[in-house]
Formats: sequence, structure tokens, C-alpha cells
Amino acid sequence: MKVLYSWLRDFVDVEDGPAEIGRRLSLRGLALEGIEPAPPGEEPPGRAPIDGDAVLDFDVTANRPDCMSVVGIAREIAAVYRLPLRLPSPDASGHLRAAALTAVDQATFSVALEAPDLCPRYVGAAATVAVGPSPGWMQRRLTALGVRPISNVVDITNYVLLELGQPMHAFDHTRLAGNAIVVRAARPGEALTTLDSKARTLAPSMLVIADATRAAAVGGVMGGLDSEVRADTTRIVFESAWFAPGSVRATSKALGLRSEASMRFERGADQTGAARGMARACALLEMIGAGTADGTMVDATARPYVPRVVPLTHAHVEGLLGMSVPVVEVERILDALGFTAIADASRTAWQVRVPGWRPDIARPEDLVEEVGRHHGFEHLPATFPPVFQAPPPSDPRIARDAAARRGMLALGFSEAISFAFIDAAAAAPFAAGEPAITLANPLSETFAVMRPSVLAGIIDAVSHNRRHGRRDVRLFEIATAFAARGERRSLAAAWTGAAGGDHWSGGRRDVDFFDVKGVVEHIGAALGVPLAFTLVEPDYLVAGRAAGVVAGARQVGVCGLLSPVLADARGIPRADDVYVLELDLDAITATAPPGATRVVPLPRFPAVVRDVSLLVDDTLSGATVRDTIQRAAPSTLVSLREFDRYQGRGVPAGKVSVSLRLTFRADDRTLTDDEVGAAMTAVLAATRTALGAEQR
Amino acid sequence: MSSLDELTALISTYQQAFTEALGAADAAAASARPAALDALKVAWTGRKAGKIADLMAHLPSLPPADRKAFGQQVNALKTVVESALAEREAALAATRRPADAVDITLPGRAPAIGHRHPLSLVREEVQTIFTRLGYQVLEGPEIEDDYHNFEALNMPESHPARDMQDTLYLSQPLPPPSGGVSPKQAEPAKADRSGTTRRTLGPQPLTLLRTHTSAMQIRYMEQHDPPVRLVAIGPVYRRDNLDLTHTPMFHQCEGLVVGKGITLAHLKGTLLAMAEALFGAGTAVRFRPSFFPYTEPSAEVDVACIRCKGAGCPVCKHTGWLEILGSGMVHPAVFEAVGYDPSEVTGFAFGMGIERVAMLKWDVGDIRLFYENDLRFLEQFSV
Repeated sequence: MKVLYSWLRDFVDVEDGPAEIGRRLSLRGLALEGIEPAPPGEEPPGRAPIDGDAVLDFDVTANRPDCMSVVGIAREIAAVYRLPLRLPSPDASGHLRAAALTAVDQATFSVALEAPDLCPRYVGAAATVAVGPSPGWMQRRLTALGVRPISNVVDITNYVLLELGQPMHAFDHTRLAGNAIVVRAARPGEALTTLDSKARTLAPSMLVIADATRAAAVGGVMGGLDSEVRADTTRIVFESAWFAPGSVRATSKALGLRSEASMRFERGADQTGAARGMARACALLEMIGAGTADGTMVDATARPYVPRVVPLTHAHVEGLLGMSVPVVEVERILDALGFTAIADASRTAWQVRVPGWRPDIARPEDLVEEVGRHHGFEHLPATFPPVFQAPPPSDPRIARDAAARRGMLALGFSEAISFAFIDAAAAAPFAAGEPAITLANPLSETFAVMRPSVLAGIIDAVSHNRRHGRRDVRLFEIATAFAARGERRSLAAAWTGAAGGDHWSGGRRDVDFFDVKGVVEHIGAALGVPLAFTLVEPDYLVAGRAAGVVAGARQVGVCGLLSPVLADARGIPRADDVYVLELDLDAITATAPPGATRVVPLPRFPAVVRDVSLLVDDTLSGATVRDTIQRAAPSTLVSLREFDRYQGRGVPAGKVSVSLRLTFRADDRTLTDDEVGAAMTAVLAATRTALGAEQR
Repeated sequence: MSSLDELTALISTYQQAFTEALGAADAAAASARPAALDALKVAWTGRKAGKIADLMAHLPSLPPADRKAFGQQVNALKTVVESALAEREAALAATRRPADAVDITLPGRAPAIGHRHPLSLVREEVQTIFTRLGYQVLEGPEIEDDYHNFEALNMPESHPARDMQDTLYLSQPLPPPSGGVSPKQAEPAKADRSGTTRRTLGPQPLTLLRTHTSAMQIRYMEQHDPPVRLVAIGPVYRRDNLDLTHTPMFHQCEGLVVGKGITLAHLKGTLLAMAEALFGAGTAVRFRPSFFPYTEPSAEVDVACIRCKGAGCPVCKHTGWLEILGSGMVHPAVFEAVGYDPSEVTGFAFGMGIERVAMLKWDVGDIRLFYENDLRFLEQFSV
């Protein structure tokens, strides 16, 4: 809301300049957005120009429709500076005059309220006018606040709206068929061309101001073109009414039509302001020589307005704020803001009558806020809430995710955070046949689908880095993946380029399947859950370079080489090998909740190590060889691992030489050569019989 | 015959000459110093032509009674010369490099160490601060129902405040999740709250991406009795176009404390403690009255500008203050929605943008950098 400093001074004799006023109001709930120099021009009659006049722009929160007016902001200033507020009145001289209008049941027109829920009060007054431009001072004030001057009659309606916050409208009296104003619901399909020259089709949920035959305005939103005030108009009817916020909001939204009037009605205009606005408009009409009001008004009231009364106790004020506020200060603030507080005998509690312009005040807490903000939050002491009990444990996912994150960082992966929505094409490869979760109103097609896999974002991050000249990329993300069956926390990672040795001394090697498999094994260890591998080859991975990850009996992830077609589609160079992994962290911890680490005592007896090289068919899996040895060996075999695989000179085609290191140890004695020899004999016999292996 | 006095004077001259020669050798360039020292050694301690030997040759020319005194004087000089040369030789030997010495100026092998995302760092810092203050840290669902995101937070369907947060909606509603806040958090069933105005609502279909972590306030209070002392952290979503300060997804930290006699002053003390922990001791905070449908009174909270400490600079637009969060006392309508009795308990709540804190902490001028995952950006943050 923009306000003109000199206009504010009509209502309050504040001495501080615009900047200081802005600073102080910002600490009282009206945040200053900016200050601009006021446009030059005339002042109202009898007012001297003010040096340094300026337009203050305040950010008015949605609960304060009263501050969408000059008077509303002046009232806040008066309360801050402890100054009296001067309002337009019938006996005020000069330009703050309000007309004294006589209420009548029937004037040269009639008013009927047929939708009292949507419009419980409607004030109309007729006048004889000579349409022309409004005076320079009025045009200047309107322009300063961003409203375009149109004609003296229309400018008066806008002036009252800006000054008092009461939206007004002026009809050409002669265009009102039957001299009737009927406030009613629109008829199905009823048509109206609004002031912006657009033809609109109305619905029965909308309120219209009609004459005897047809709609003349959309209530509280915009007038109709046909009944607008024109250059040759001589008789007008001013409208000053109160329209229900929900209805105006819904209508304005449905028509895609917002106006200065609708913005005020939908937040809640002053329920007692209709007659006040009319009196002001009629006085201005005569003041600027635009015409003569008939001197009567039709004040149609379907339901009398009953002011809200909210109880307040001093204990509540101090108890909620946590600071002391003297009783006289409570009463001063409420009075300055237009509340009427009636104290009980002990003066520690009040019945507070709420003024019509404060629809936001419904509960004692609302009044506590009024007292608190005007007493000043700067007086709040910084105290500390008592602790009542030890806090319950935090969400266990936090510690688990932190363990996985530490693991990935230690392996050289940097942490990424991506948007949870991606484009449909990026999501599709990971959907696993399930329908995607799509957004009804995405910002763009790039953000249309909730990611079914966190890999999607990681792949785009790899692409970004590759396109910016980065050859070696290791990235991971721990985030939520979405499916119709629910949200799951996922760890995704990608690795392309060097696996190590990228140094002037040489030894560079590019990442391969076993690097990414090692990462998965490390994360399993970090989470305290042993992970195994199985043959799973989803479409987005290259067959023969992919594996499923298993915890217990459940598949909890995948790892392998990203499909070059998919990588290419996301902008990654075709020659790149991008290895990826994704682990469902929720599934992993659900399968095997991490147990506490327990230390195994160090062995008391030495181990015996035997290396053996076997010639086996090169189609035989490593797991088969190991399983055969495990089964044949006694329980003293404590470790078994491959340390070399060789094909080439000296090894027949179709065969591979596998070198294994076997470690034997017993807990209760030192093993003898005979014992280990017997074990090795059994192992070799088993591999020969079961696998046709020859010892090299 | 020479006299002892003459020869004593000669020794003194020699001593002077040695000091000068040693000074010259010390002043020589590092590369020339070994040769200079070798020459000195030969010139002074050589058995035949050395200067010490020279001096000793005068011994026979003295009367026998003076010979002992002279000998002592020459030996004293000899000790000075030898120890000075030995000292320098030892120093030289200490700096001599073996033949297989490495060039220490060549780059080292960089260990593969990952870098943390700045948002993750701030998030953990905030978690640590509030854990230290005795809070429980929670996460919650990112796809929400209208009730938890809006209605229970005092934002019914037609509320103008819904315009404040432009919402992203799902094309198709999803069935409600079976679990609660978190399956791991399951607690004994809540005590019967007959007599309260709690709404009895069955599980609602999920229709939107949560616009704030405040939805977690409702989910938690529905399942737990007061007192409450929690922070909820995670991503939230709004239909904001990308620009320097907006992204359609960002991260929030929500705080909620409920109990008997909780006040706005408690909120100020708590946020002051947080601001000091995040931005340094002595960081001032300022409350400005504001409006949120789910708090009353409501306040926006500023911290003294972390660049200029309040003096005014471009970062704070010359106001001396930086807005970092919205907060207030929990609105009684929110308590009623979850079945708490607003005449029994009060509470405070606050919501802070993680990106905002990160931007201030590290002088990040463009919020979009957090979501590009450019390694040149990420690698500027510690492990």
C-alpha cells in the first residue's frame, strides 16, 4: 500500500519525516518496502506544500485490510507517536468534511437486498453532477498512490477508497432501469460487460448489483460498462456497501479479475464503514464543485452489525508475551487503535469491543499481539523455556543417513542436492513400470514429475559437470524418491573418469564395475548390514556390467554401468563410462536394523597362510570356486580371497588361472603343518572333483 | 729474541684476522660456503702452513719462562678456531641432501575425499544446535494432505493467506500413508482427550507438496501429548520461479516448543542462542511484528548484519539487519485442531530457510548454485 506523506498529515500531526516514520512502523508491523519522492503538484485548498513530501510504500499483511487506506496507516502512526487521530466529520471545516446525509427508505431509486449473506448492507445516495476533470490536488494524490485519474465523479470514488479503505462505485442513474438497485445472485449464464470492456458470463455463486432488469455490476469486484459514468452523465447513484470476503474472493478468482475494491473486500472491509464512506464522497462532490448530493441516502441493512466483544486479562497479556506491560499501557494502546476496553472492578481484565475495520481480531491472543507490537517487541527479554523432560529420540533416519553420508565422503564422493521434480523423460527409465507421480501445476515441463529414483538428479549433475569441463566426477545424494506406494530414502551415486592414480607419477586407472561394487560393500559396512550381489540387469544399466544389491532376502538396490543411450540423452558424452549405484536406505535398515558393534577378541594363536593357483574354466564364477573351497575346508579356514586372475601365455584357451589365499587359524591351539596340509589336500580334491580344477 | 708482549699482540692480530675471515665465509652465498670453509680450515689449522702452526713456530724464540704462557695463548686461539670451524661444518652437514632426495615442490597425491553440500552443512549445524538445547529432531513426509499443510494450521480453503504460498499440487491424489510421523517413533496410544474440540478426521488423500515444514507440527502433536520440543528439517516446495533468491524447492527448519507458560520472550531467548551459535557470539536479534495464520502474535526475526555488524552495507541493504525467519506463538486454533487445550498450554514456533542461512554464511549470491551441483562450487566447502 502506497501512502502520501502529506495526505497522512491530514489525519495526524506527526513531525517526523517519511524515512523515520517508515523505520518506526516497520518495527510495529507495517514493513516499509520503499520511499519515492512525491510527484509535484497542487495541495488541497488551505494546505501548504510540504518540503520533502514522499510516497511511502508499506507491505500490508493479509490480515490488515484496514491498513490498505491512508487513515488506517495514519491510525498506526498516531498510536506509535501517541498523537490524536483526526477523522473526516460533518462539522470539520476544510477538506476533511463529511456530509450529513439523512437516511431514507426510498430516494429517487430503491434498494433491495436479495442475498443478505453476501451483502448485508448497501448504502446508496443520488446526486446531480457535472462531469469533468477533478482538481489538480486530487489528481496528484491519486497518481501518487498509483491510481489513474478519470473524471471528477470516478476520482471521488477512488479517493474515498484510498483514504478510508471503503470501496465505492458510481452508476449513471438514468441507466438504472426501474430506478431500482437489486443486490442478488447472478442468474445462470447472465452476461455483463465490465468496465474493462470485457464480456463476462456470470454464475449463480456470484453477486451482482442489478437494476430492475439486468446486472449492472459484479458486487465488490467491478462495475458494468453500460451504467458507467460518462462525460454527459448528469445524475448518479453512489454505491457504498459491504460484501462478504469469501464470495468476492471466489468471484474475483473465477473471473480472473482483481480490482482495488476486490482486494479490500476479500480481506474484509469495514463493516461499519459504508455510511461513513458515502458521507465523505458526497462532501467531496460539493467541495470540488463536481455536483450536488441530494442529501439523502438509502441505508439498506439486512442484518444489523453487532460489534465483536473479546475478553482480555492482564495476566494473559504478560503471560503470553513474557514481558511486563503496565495496565495503563494496555489501555492506551487499545484506545489508540480504536478498541473500546471496558475494565472490570480490579482493572485486570477487560471486555474489548472491536472496531468494524478490524476483522482480524477474534480472540484474546489477537489483542495480546496488538498490545505487544505497540508496546514494542524490542522490550522483550531474552529468556529461556524451561525443560520439562529429556527429549525423545530423534528420527532414526537422521543418524543412519549421516553414517551413509560419512561413508560416501570418505570414498571421495561429493554431496549433491537436486530438485525432487524432474522432466518426464528423465523419470521414465527409472519408473519400473509404475505410474509416475506428476504435478498438476508444475513450473515447467522440466519440473513435471516427482523423481522415482534419486539417480535421475545425480545423472543430470554428472552431465552438468562434464559439460563444464570436469573429467573426473564422483557425486552422491541422499534424498527422497517417490512412488505411489510411498516415499523412500535413497542413496544414489555416480562415478565417472579416474578411479585413482591421477598424478604426475602415473598409475591413472578409470573406474570399473569393481570400484562401484566396492562402494556398495563399504556402505553396507558403514550401516552395519552385510550386502550381497545378485544378477539383476535393469534397462538403464548395461547388461554384463550390472548387479542387484541384496540385504537378507530382499533386493535393496542396484549398481553398474549406466546405459550409454540414457547417458547420451542426458547430455553426457557418449564415450564416458558412468558407473552408478542406488540403495534404498529404508529397505536396508528395515531388513536388518543395524546392531551395536561388538569387539572380537584378538586371536591368541598364529594363523597359517597357503596360496594356491587353480586352472578352471573361465566361465566358472568366482563365487562357485569360493563356495566349493569353503564347503571342503575345515572350520579353521578363517579367510579366503582371490588375489590374482590370469589368462594368457601358459594358460590354455577357455581356462583361467585363479590364485587364492587361504588363511587357517584355530582359537585354542597353534595349527600344525599336518593339519593345514590335510585341509589343503581336501580343498584341492574337492575343486578337482567338483570343478575339474588343476593345480598350477 | 722476541718478547712475550710482541707475540701477544701478534696473537691478537691473528684472532682479529680469523674473525674477519670467518665473517666473510659466513657471508658467502650458500653454494660457495663449503669451499670457503674448507679454505679457512687449511689456512688456519694446516699442520705445516697453517697460521696456528705459524704462531707456534715463534715458541723457540721466547725465553723459556715465557714459553708456557705463550703456548696457552696460542692454544686458546686454536680452540676458538677449531670450534668455530667444527660448528659450521656440522651445520653444513645437516643441510646436505642425499642423492635420492625428492623435489618437495612437486604436487602431492590428492587423497580422494568428498566434499559436503553447504545445505547439508547448515542443516547439520542447526540440528546440532537444537540437539544441544534439548530438542528432538524429526523429518516428515514431503507429499502432504491439505489438512496438515493448511487447514489444521488455521488456513481454511478460502483463507487469503493461501495466496502467500503458491502450492504445487499432484495430478492424482495418492492414498494416505499407513504410518504416522515415523514408524520408528511409535509410542503408546495417546490418552483420551474427551471434552476437547479436536476434529475427528480420518486419513486424508495426499494432494500436494508440502509448502512448509509446519505440517510436521500438526503430525507430531496429533500423536503426542505436550510438552513438545522439536525441530523438523527437510525440503519444502513452492511454485516460485527460479531467480537469484528463489527456487521451487528449498529447505526449512521448523521449531516447535509447547508447554505450560511458554512465552514470546522464551522464543526470543531461543532464537538469540541459535543466532549466536550460527553467526557468532554477540549477534543481536530483532523481532518485527508480522502475520502468519498459524501464530499469534507473529514476528519476523532479523539478525544484525553478519557482514557489517549493523553499521549498514550492501548485504543488508543499509538497514543493518537481515531477515532470517518467521515465528510466533502457536495460534490457539492450531492447538484446537490437534486436541490440545489452549487454556492449558502455550507454545512458540519458528520456520527458517536453510538456503538463506547458507547464503549469508558463505556470501552466496545466487540460490540456484545450491542445486547445480557444480563440483567447482561444492569443492569450496569442507569435508
